[in-house]
Amino acid sequence: MGFVRNPKDVISGLLFIAIALLFAWQSRELTIGSAMRMGPGYFPLVLSVVMGLLGLIVLINGLRYPGEAPSGFAWRALVILVGATLFFGFAMRPLGFLPTLAITVFASTLASTLFRPLTALAITAVMVVFCWGVFILGLGLPLPLLGPWLGGY
Amino acid sequence: MFAKATRAACAVFRGIAAVPVVVVGIALASAGAHAQTFPSRPITVIVPFAAGGPTDTVARLVAESMTKTLGQQVIVENVGGAGGTRGAGQVAKATPDGYTLLLHHIGQATAPSLYRKLPYKVTDFETAGLITPVPMTLIAKPGFEPKTIADVITYVKANKEKVTYGNAGVGSASHLCGMLFMAATGTPLTTVPYQGTGPAMNDLVGGQIDLMCDQTTNTTGQIKGGKVKAYAVTTKDKVPSLPDLPTLQASGLKDFEVTIWHGLYAPKGTPADVVAKLNQALGVALDDPKVASRFADLGTEPEAKNRRSPEFHKQFLTDEVAKWKPVIEAAGVYAD
Amino acid sequence: MELLDNLGLGFSVALSFQNLFYCFAGALLGTLIGVLPGLGPIATIAMLLPITFGLPPVSALIMLAGIYYGAQYGGSTTAILINLPGESSSVVTAIDGHQMAKQGKAGTALATAALGSFFAGTVATFLLALFAPPLAELALKFGPPEYFALMVLGLVASVTLASGSVVKALAMIVLGLLLGLSGQDIYTGVPRLTFNVDELADGFDFVALAMGMFGLSEIIRNLEDEHNRTLVAAKVKGLMLSKEDFKAIIGPVVRGTVLGSFLGILPGGGAMLSSFAAYSVEKKISKTPRRFGKGAIEGVAGPESANNAGAQTSFIPMLTLGIPSNPVMALMIGALIIQGITPGPNVVTDKPDLFWGVIASMWVGNFMLVLLNLPLIGLWVRLLTVPYHVMYPAIIAFCCIGVYSVNNNTFDVYTMALFGILGYALVKLDCEPAPLLLGFVIGPMLEEYLRRAMLISRGDPMVFVTRPISAILLLLAAIALVVVLLPSVQKGREEAFKE
Repeated sequence: MGFVRNPKDVISGLLFIAIALLFAWQSRELTIGSAMRMGPGYFPLVLSVVMGLLGLIVLINGLRYPGEAPSGFAWRALVILVGATLFFGFAMRPLGFLPTLAITVFASTLASTLFRPLTALAITAVMVVFCWGVFILGLGLPLPLLGPWLGGY
Repeated sequence: MFAKATRAACAVFRGIAAVPVVVVGIALASAGAHAQTFPSRPITVIVPFAAGGPTDTVARLVAESMTKTLGQQVIVENVGGAGGTRGAGQVAKATPDGYTLLLHHIGQATAPSLYRKLPYKVTDFETAGLITPVPMTLIAKPGFEPKTIADVITYVKANKEKVTYGNAGVGSASHLCGMLFMAATGTPLTTVPYQGTGPAMNDLVGGQIDLMCDQTTNTTGQIKGGKVKAYAVTTKDKVPSLPDLPTLQASGLKDFEVTIWHGLYAPKGTPADVVAKLNQALGVALDDPKVASRFADLGTEPEAKNRRSPEFHKQFLTDEVAKWKPVIEAAGVYAD
Repeated sequence: MELLDNLGLGFSVALSFQNLFYCFAGALLGTLIGVLPGLGPIATIAMLLPITFGLPPVSALIMLAGIYYGAQYGGSTTAILINLPGESSSVVTAIDGHQMAKQGKAGTALATAALGSFFAGTVATFLLALFAPPLAELALKFGPPEYFALMVLGLVASVTLASGSVVKALAMIVLGLLLGLSGQDIYTGVPRLTFNVDELADGFDFVALAMGMFGLSEIIRNLEDEHNRTLVAAKVKGLMLSKEDFKAIIGPVVRGTVLGSFLGILPGGGAMLSSFAAYSVEKKISKTPRRFGKGAIEGVAGPESANNAGAQTSFIPMLTLGIPSNPVMALMIGALIIQGITPGPNVVTDKPDLFWGVIASMWVGNFMLVLLNLPLIGLWVRLLTVPYHVMYPAIIAFCCIGVYSVNNNTFDVYTMALFGILGYALVKLDCEPAPLLLGFVIGPMLEEYLRRAMLISRGDPMVFVTRPISAILLLLAAIALVVVLLPSVQKGREEAFKE
């Protein structure tokens, strides 16, 4: 790591360049056109190039000037909360609104190191009742309360 | 301190927590009630466009009346996206029990030609009846030279690509009408697409673009307010709310007819008697004087009595698919 | 004295018992729903639209307008309290507003937002009453070249939203632009940058993106070090503004109002630009620009006034021409059509009670919003005393429900999760999310207007300089670019010398 003086900048630079390559690759099949008559691929390509160049500048800066390394990642929170969100999206249709909500809320509480089972259950119960009252009774959102997997429709 | 607060909270909410259990019970009980005569629970009509748009307006007017006839809530749900194909695709895959319906416009017939990778077929639906054919109007920026529709046709032929035609995006009503107009006059105009009618109308009123053809729903206000020049209507007969405008057919474009017709659909396999009941309730809605007067405000009228049966709708849909296929293929535009 | 007669008519309509009630109900409902994370003005109005169908047209529009301001104010409240902007205009409020909340000054920030909005609303209402028709004509002078120039100016200005590295901010803007281009190309109908995902046919959803980048990643970050986290609530200071605060916000409020009133008239993104244009101006003219991003009260006062003024004047094209200038106005037009009124230039003459009633009710609505929200501030601030580990699961749930219910689409929820990860990674790398969000909103418009301008001018790029308004705007953008880049160039040199 001797020549990496600012890990944050080096990583961001590499990330930007990677994203730029991804978008450039995505726009490879689009018609470019000309500056006068732009095709759908013109803008994405130009922007990908600009993005790549900016990434390069950030990368070079990171090699020249010193800085800190990123630290203190909340891995537990990241995994649990992203998982809870994905679960909500996955379960909304098959399980229905109320069970999905309850599980999502309960799972989210596990992300905190201050987790206590009773508090978690209380939060879950309050949220289910509150959301049912606001979104279903109050706003009449067309969300199925129970999905087909649980005998609803 | 937190633990104490939590314990207190738990005590309070233990009582409330019983509520979801009751709800679950009710939901389970109603799930077993399929055998009862239709409809035994609320019906969802999916509109494949955003709330507040012209199609949504039609749907809400009809749904209000059908709710009274069927004795069950008819709920309008907006599932916008991908030019109406997302909502339609959702209904195509729904349980065919008559509780999930689709209210779609002419796009139902043009989607198979516009989208090469359509995730459903037009035949995935049972037709439940036509609702209303909304007329379209050919309008131009204020100060556009031609005086009559005949002049417009000569003018565009003489100036070809110098004339700009605005539309509300691929597959929109104004896009379809424009394609047909260009095909009928044999003149390719410079097409300027917009994201929706609003910005297109803004540029037309501001004189940035020359021509547009759109539904009366979107144009009547500006026509009557004198903010745009109106030349003709696209229907077979004149439109009562715009009596001064001739039809395009009578102005030299033979067989030119476009309306943004609307229809009600159920997923394929929905029992015939259920479809018949829906069609009947739809008919009652169309005879409702309140619905008719609201339609008149929009510059349209309920579908004629002899065109309301599911069978007519089915044939009409097939004819429209066939009518638009060559027009869209000739224009060479696709939405995917 | 036609104006006085008209306003008299307007107030007689707006102050009727029934309409006062609907105005209040609208503002209250809007605030209460808008304050839920994930539910911005568009979602709120779309949800509540059906309940206005049964009302007479004037009352329906008054109530919807009330819901609109209420939801917008509610959105700012969430942006300040928990750093969750539900729509593009409150992205800016979140930057300094949330920092203020972290320093225990949530009450001050909320009061600033309420009072700034009220002032802006009052001025904008009178502008509307006095000059609606000529202002609408002015807006029509804006063609594609002018809009393109305006977007360029906005883009340059958005660099100022970041308080860290300028290069990183630029990269984030470009990333936002690229993400914004995802979806169908409106000129050819070709899908692009969709990664072969069918659900991306219409591109990424703004709410999902914002909830992920701000909401989810912020929560994860807050959970990093819970035991050492000082509670915000422990140091809540006074709820009202001090004399110094008043002095500090007068300038920003007035400037924000002017900017917002003008930009709000422009259809297609004008109102959206106003809040961060105001932020850029404040940061640029401030003697201490370093405070911005760290809880500068001007950074709340300016944008909040601008966005409320813009919300008001965005009614102008709708009421005078029947043209919706943004999705919210499109919903309003839908409501009018359902009521049997054809929106258009004739509404002023055919339905003077509606036209003037709505204008008068805007002021009444703004007044009610202040009455409603000043006492509520105490309540909102107290919400912050709820321990964080109790509150964040609720925020997650609201975000999920809000994101899902915008389009009834599970894919949007996955999008939120994805951007939660990306947002957290970027934050850890000191890349700020606000410029990305603005790039995301501006990206498609920038391209759309550029290509449209070239199409209409038949490929002649001179159109941008031969049209005066666009030439001036581009010149301003060039100047702004120099002003923005200059300090960083100098700083770079200083740092180089230090070595």
